[in-house]
Amino acid sequence: MKIKHVLASLFAGAAILFAAPSGIHAADVSVFAAASLTDALKQIAADYEKASGDKIIFNFAASGTLARQIEAGAPADVFFAADETKADALEKKGLLVSGTRKSPLGNSLVIVTSAEAAAVHSPADLTNAAIQHLALGEVQTVPCGTYAKAYLEKTSLWPAVEAKVVPCESVRAVLAAVASGNVDAGFVYKTDAAISKKVKVAYEVPAAETPGISYPLALLKDAPQPDAAKKFIAYLDSAAATTVFKQFGFIVLSSAPAK
Amino acid sequence: MSGAEWQLVGFSLRMALASLLLVFPVGLALAWCLARKHWPGKALVETVVSLPLVLPPVVTGLVLLQLFGRRGPVGSWLHHTFNLEVVFTWRAVVVALATMSLPLFVRAARTAFEEVDVKFEQLARTLGAGEWRVFFTITLPLAKRGVLAGTLLAFARALGEFGATIMVAGNLPGRTTTLPVAIYQAVENGEDAHAWLLAGVSAIIAFAAVFVSEQLLRRSK
Amino acid sequence: MNNAFLTATFRKRFPGGPEIVADALQVGGGITVLFGASGSGKTTLLRCLAGLEIPDEGEITFAGEIWFGQRGLRNRKPGATLLPARLRGVGFVPQDYALFPHLTVAGNVGYGLQALPAAESAARVLETLRWLGLTGLEHRRPGELSGGQQQRVALARAVVRRPKLLLLDEPLAALDTPTRLRLRGELRQLLRGLGLPTLLVTHDRFEALALGDQMVVMAEGRIQQSGPVTEVFNRPANLAVAHIAGTETVLPASVVKVVDGIVTVAVGDVKLVAVAPDFPAHATAAHVCIRADDVILVADVLPPASARNRFSATVVAVERDGPLLRVELDCGFLLKALLTPQAAAEMELQPRAAVGVLIKAPHIHLIPR
Repeated sequence: MKIKHVLASLFAGAAILFAAPSGIHAADVSVFAAASLTDALKQIAADYEKASGDKIIFNFAASGTLARQIEAGAPADVFFAADETKADALEKKGLLVSGTRKSPLGNSLVIVTSAEAAAVHSPADLTNAAIQHLALGEVQTVPCGTYAKAYLEKTSLWPAVEAKVVPCESVRAVLAAVASGNVDAGFVYKTDAAISKKVKVAYEVPAAETPGISYPLALLKDAPQPDAAKKFIAYLDSAAATTVFKQFGFIVLSSAPAK
Repeated sequence: MSGAEWQLVGFSLRMALASLLLVFPVGLALAWCLARKHWPGKALVETVVSLPLVLPPVVTGLVLLQLFGRRGPVGSWLHHTFNLEVVFTWRAVVVALATMSLPLFVRAARTAFEEVDVKFEQLARTLGAGEWRVFFTITLPLAKRGVLAGTLLAFARALGEFGATIMVAGNLPGRTTTLPVAIYQAVENGEDAHAWLLAGVSAIIAFAAVFVSEQLLRRSK
Repeated sequence: MNNAFLTATFRKRFPGGPEIVADALQVGGGITVLFGASGSGKTTLLRCLAGLEIPDEGEITFAGEIWFGQRGLRNRKPGATLLPARLRGVGFVPQDYALFPHLTVAGNVGYGLQALPAAESAARVLETLRWLGLTGLEHRRPGELSGGQQQRVALARAVVRRPKLLLLDEPLAALDTPTRLRLRGELRQLLRGLGLPTLLVTHDRFEALALGDQMVVMAEGRIQQSGPVTEVFNRPANLAVAHIAGTETVLPASVVKVVDGIVTVAVGDVKLVAVAPDFPAHATAAHVCIRADDVILVADVLPPASARNRFSATVVAVERDGPLLRVELDCGFLLKALLTPQAAAEMELQPRAAVGVLIKAPHIHLIPR
């Protein structure tokens, strides 16, 4: 075969691939959501897609990472973070549609340990020499890490454990690190610990001592599919959705708008 | 540049140099065997050595994590025998840098050895030299330029290594944070100015290393 | 030879190439020349002796020490012995000298002396350099030396270890002609002074004549003849040797009669008488080999002479061959003679001149066919 025939076929193939429509749905709703919401949202979206005919496309990552991507212009319809400060940052830049922001969910912090780790019965046990590595979400981008550090500072444990901290890029990364046995313990949400069978829940931070964990949800200003997005956001309030959230262990707050 | 930034550069340089200490003996041995010897399965060895060059670095990092993690074959042995931790310590950084830069070194050193005329080695043998003596007094000195160029390339590659490092050593400030990891983190945190500064330092060092390496390779022809 | 140091019988074949067969090669004290055309396998043979190539099968022993063992097909077979190059105590000088470019002259020469304490090794190096006339060049690099100096450094490097056997591959070939001629004599002196069993490879007849005591002729990968140098040149055992040794005239002839070791052959119409006591009685044809320097020319009228072969000839051509003149003659067959220019002038030799040719019977050499 002559070279130019090969090249022509390649170009034609590439053109077809790029031009091909992605499928036949009514609309694609792009949701940037915190990693801790992965399993709950996937199940909710599966139900929603059957009912509405729309398709939900997720991007799960640490809230800080998502916020940065949105600031950089990533096309997204919905922002569902684990930390109010991330939503504040976007709001200040005018990237949220005003009036759509609310905080439907809360969570609690737990300490998980790996199968081989020494026993941890209270947060103070984290200062033991037997606990060599403590996984935390990266404090500036991962809300779970921010909350964990705040808690440790409040309980005056931070100076003792700071040297052991292994920063991870999302709460799920913390979970994976503990599950793999490469770190001894980590802070994750109760909802994450429930998903994994490979880690032990060593301690649950009581609600009174937990820094306020709140999940802001909003429509983004430059949303490609604002109407479909609004419909999905409304669905998240529905009884079907809140049941799923509760099943996974999330705390369902009143649906009054945040702040 | 602040003190913390200088420390970061210093740490990265120290880690890259430490990785060279691993790469050198292993790489020289491999390069010499590939240049001078033949054995069944040689092609397999050549391929495996070249893999870190073409595999996504995170894949290499994954493999290293499996091997050196607490439950991995090497990691658990080190943990039980020497109480030595690898993952999430500076040792993991050195291992990751060494693994990623080894193929570059082996390629350059192998070519350098192949360019040494065997007649000199053979003559040295008639003068009573054993294989080790032939290697250190004849082969290696005559291959000096190429080996040095390979070392510089390996050094530059080690300094720029990211994917495998972040998988197996994480990003522990002051303990495993290398220059590329710090740049990534700065971008993640929105600290653009800081990221650009570090990127600039990284680029200057890499440029210098590759430039000198190319000069050495050119003059040895 | 009864006092041979080295005895070797082996075969070596290169994949897809010719086979080299050494059959009962012997190297004694003194200088043995391994003589043959380029590509006849001489270098391979030398490298097998040095331990740089491994024969396919055979045996190489030196003064009772087995260097390459019995029935050994590749040294991995159990029961086969292979003494590696570094333990053979051989001094090897390849054709391009292979001086280590990254070491000085002193570094090169002293390379093989690492078993000695530094002071003693330095002293030996200096002594060897002095003996070869290389004093003052200790710190030069090989690239800064002339061809002749490089050759001597290579020799120094090989002999400073007092080897048991010296192997030289075309030691003068890399030099330009005037240097080669000048050094030929020096080399002979040097080698005799060393007194080591030496095997020297050359394709140059005059080198072989000048340097060698014994000679081994190789052609087509095989040893064709060995013996004292002059004997091999004057009495080539077969045509191949005759051609290499450069007997000037080789002619096909038919045997006329054989009586008591005196053989008469006919080349065309001309009868030649040769002394050949071992000539087989039943042979009907032979090659006649006559050295150009054995041909005597006389003025036209043939005087009585003891030479049995006397006939007339016409000069065909006269050309210079170094200090001599090569004269081509038509005797009914083509004959070549070597004369001094003075002799040629006295006889006024030029093309179409008529001369007489005298050749003594012992100078007609026959190779039976």
